[in-house]
Amino acid sequence: MKRFYLLFPCVLAMLIVWAGCHGGEGNTIKIGVVTSLTGKQAAFGQAHKNGYTIALDEINAKGGLLGKKVELDYYDDQSKPDQAVQGVSKLVDQDHVTIILGAYSSESTRAIVPVVTQKKIPLIIPTAVADNVVETGSPWVFRICAGAESFAAATLDFLKNNGDPKTLAIVSENTNFGQANSKSMTEAAKAAGLDLVDSESYQDSSPDYKSLLQRVKNKNPEVVYFASYLLDASTLMRQAEQVRLNPKYYTSAGTGFAAAEFPTPDKGAGKYAEYTFSVSQWLPSAKWKGSAEFDEKFFKLTGAHPAYHAIEAYAALVVAAAAIDGAKSAQSQALRDTLRQINLAETPFGPVKFDSRGQNLHPVLVTQVQEGKYKVVWPLDAAETKPIIPTPEWSKRQ
Amino acid sequence: MNWFYSTIQAILNGLLTGALYGLIAMGMALIFGVMRIVNFAHGAFLMLGMYATYVLFQTTGISPYYSFPLAGAVLFVIGYATYMGLLRPIRGQVDFMVILLTMGLALIITDGVQLIFGADYHQINIPLLSKNIRIGSQISINAPWLVSFAIAAVLAVALYFVVTHTMFGRAARAIAQNRYAAPLMGINVNRVQAISFGIGSAAAGIAGALLLPVFYLFPEVGNQFKLKSFVMVVLGGMGSIQGAAIAGLVLGVVESLTSLYWGNEWALAVDFVIFILVLSLKPSGIFGSQRA
Repeated sequence: MKRFYLLFPCVLAMLIVWAGCHGGEGNTIKIGVVTSLTGKQAAFGQAHKNGYTIALDEINAKGGLLGKKVELDYYDDQSKPDQAVQGVSKLVDQDHVTIILGAYSSESTRAIVPVVTQKKIPLIIPTAVADNVVETGSPWVFRICAGAESFAAATLDFLKNNGDPKTLAIVSENTNFGQANSKSMTEAAKAAGLDLVDSESYQDSSPDYKSLLQRVKNKNPEVVYFASYLLDASTLMRQAEQVRLNPKYYTSAGTGFAAAEFPTPDKGAGKYAEYTFSVSQWLPSAKWKGSAEFDEKFFKLTGAHPAYHAIEAYAALVVAAAAIDGAKSAQSQALRDTLRQINLAETPFGPVKFDSRGQNLHPVLVTQVQEGKYKVVWPLDAAETKPIIPTPEWSKRQ
Repeated sequence: MNWFYSTIQAILNGLLTGALYGLIAMGMALIFGVMRIVNFAHGAFLMLGMYATYVLFQTTGISPYYSFPLAGAVLFVIGYATYMGLLRPIRGQVDFMVILLTMGLALIITDGVQLIFGADYHQINIPLLSKNIRIGSQISINAPWLVSFAIAAVLAVALYFVVTHTMFGRAARAIAQNRYAAPLMGINVNRVQAISFGIGSAAAGIAGALLLPVFYLFPEVGNQFKLKSFVMVVLGGMGSIQGAAIAGLVLGVVESLTSLYWGNEWALAVDFVIFILVLSLKPSGIFGSQRA
């Protein structure tokens, strides 16, 4: 008689597990998303989420995909790579998603590449710029945005045609993003014949970078190239003024220096951001079809204009949708094969086509903060205005 | 010539930062000196002081440089309650239990704050932040750091005065010397220890308030300062509050100079090099207390 009492909870447990496993199938298509909704990079994760939301609404307004509604299954990696890895496991093993978009940072993305490869799930990378995420040889990885090498090349191209400075200092944070950009710029600068007078690597989230900036100042570079996230970008520029570091050009590998919050006083560097150059993947004024509409929708949703991180997320979802549509299936292998061949001539983020490594050859712009706004200054056919060079010295600014 | 001025500047910056470090370390040293408790929740208390000041600033606009006494008061109450409610009942048990308890407390506080406020980073912007005092053309001092240096210095002197010249201070030192003889002298050991814990925690809370304008706020902000505090308390001599204060200044200057001459990443390593050197060569620290 006792055996029957044990049987009932066992059967109940099995039913629950079975329901959990199969509950996802049926009438929606679930796409997994890993991003940093909280933690150090929460501002960028939020930008991702807004971009994804706009794309999702558009897709569902057109009837969804394969006749079903599309849902996004978010996992918050809290800006930590180990959480991103856990997230992929949860999304794939528990929620049974067949394709994943993300993560935000180069560090988290690098961590999840082996996991998606092992689980055979296609990954579309929206924003991670470290080149090592597409250099593992994994056939499951696709990157929408341009990478660190392109950042360095675009910056040097701009500099060569705008004053041709000869000395450079690199200041980079010490995770994957910073290291990758430091490496790319070091190699590219050497090839271009510039003199690398200083290269500093720093531990992020410190209160005091003044000694570091003093070291850079003592080497007297004409150009400083930063690879920083938002919080440090703000601290660095504030303290650059205190230390009176006056290179002719403040340049950067985007990210913190290209965030929507960076030129604002309460969440960024405020007036200390003025005149800084940054690489950019996109601006609302871009001439691609749909760019202006995306800007409008984003403004309606959040009350602010988007930086490129938001549209990269948007583009990632648009590409995923195009793949599902083209493959007429949501099955991972079919999606992967479709992504390899995909050739979208027109998206608000420009054309999308992946090369043999899974890299999309996306053009890189150079912007400058002028009067608190980002303005494209390079290349000439995309430029809105002329760059202000050399950067006015701190003591001469109001 | 530049390196000369850069060095002077780095020393100055180091002293300014070091004063704040020293304040945090003094709190920990007081607690350790009187009660032999290593408070692993010290960093979490600093973080609570920061959040309290932040919330006050967001709702009323009062600058942290005026509202820091409130952070001190809040943390005094929290510290007193922590001692009376959590630590006193396990007095007499193995030290390891006390460490575990304070570590657990730190985790609960940090995760609790993360639940309530989220893991996002916050910063505040006050006009003083953009004011710099320039000495000649080569040296500049950022005004907020100078204000926090002044406040920390006054508090450090006040704390030293309390410990050496008041009845409470004498009671605390008596307990530190001999915990068993102290009650025989008519000292209410529990109350004095609770007050000491409260004062030590208040120091952390005030340091948090002073740190808020020049840094940013997130639930785990206390961790890096907690680690540095251990180094300073050991460097200054376990339980010596004047030692901890001096050690704070020393650490600040050493970090700043290391950062100038070898780079920012070495500055962190140097903290622990000092830690290991002191423990292996002169465990009793600068002020060589006999209770090494």
